[in-house]
Amino acid sequence: MPLWLGVVPFGLAYAVIARDAGLSLVETQALSLLVFAGSAQVSAVGLFARGSSGLAVVLTTFLLNVRHVLYGMSLARRVPMTPRERLAGAFFLTDEAYGVSISRGSRAFPFVLGAELSLFITWNLATLAGALLGGVIPDPEKIGVDFVFPIAFLALLVPLLRRRADVAVAVVAGFVAWLLSKWLPGGLPVLAAGAGGALLGAALTRREPA
Amino acid sequence: MSFWFTCAGMVAVTFGSRLAGLTVRLRLPAFWLRFLHFVPIAVFAALVTPSLQGSRGEGGIRVVAAALSGVVAWRTRQLAVAIVAGMAAFWLLRLIPGQ
Repeated sequence: MPLWLGVVPFGLAYAVIARDAGLSLVETQALSLLVFAGSAQVSAVGLFARGSSGLAVVLTTFLLNVRHVLYGMSLARRVPMTPRERLAGAFFLTDEAYGVSISRGSRAFPFVLGAELSLFITWNLATLAGALLGGVIPDPEKIGVDFVFPIAFLALLVPLLRRRADVAVAVVAGFVAWLLSKWLPGGLPVLAAGAGGALLGAALTRREPA
Repeated sequence: MSFWFTCAGMVAVTFGSRLAGLTVRLRLPAFWLRFLHFVPIAVFAALVTPSLQGSRGEGGIRVVAAALSGVVAWRTRQLAVAIVAGMAAFWLLRLIPGQ
């Protein structure tokens, strides 16, 4: 599955960054097992490294993951689920699992859960490998492992830039965060520039179809 | 200890969002649908710039290596390739004497 090929390097990168940010092996793995949301996990450890408060991390996670409400609404219309299936289906729901379930057009819950679980297992194995790898890198500061932060986020950002408004939002949010980070500590600049940038994008595309 | 509080909060907002979508019926206004499209773009961009500078006065090298990594990400759309290219460029540029 080409899907797993994308998850493995992402999981490795997440775990190496997490270890560099000072998280233990158990903490790094716990986020993958319990939260299981790639972009939110990478953002969270990026914020931990900046000495962000826990509240800013949770709010940024919410900002990033509230889109899952949309996936859930779309999935619930296509796939009938019992209440218990809904709990399991919700816990393991991700962008990729949603994408596969919708594109295959399957209306069976076992197919959805199978897609979700295969991603969950791959993500956690990649996390474990990356966390072990990140733990044995000697003197991470000296070889500049912290440079993985900006380039990992840049590599996640670039494929998302499809329209002119996307580029405008990225440039403005990046500049605002850089400016704010000179005065505000931790995760606040990211939270403010993230929410503000998304508001700007929604306002800019008022005349375009969503 | 504070890590585990934060972790619990992350679980609550993530699982809460996922379960809410599967459970409740509501229609989001078009403005907020577009807002959600731009959230990852704005957050990722906001995470790049403050960490670009670095703490050891290597700002110039880091910006050049990041730009190269961005171009590689754009051409290949492969996270791993872009990271390896960016790190390689960073290490090579550091070898140049006089930096």
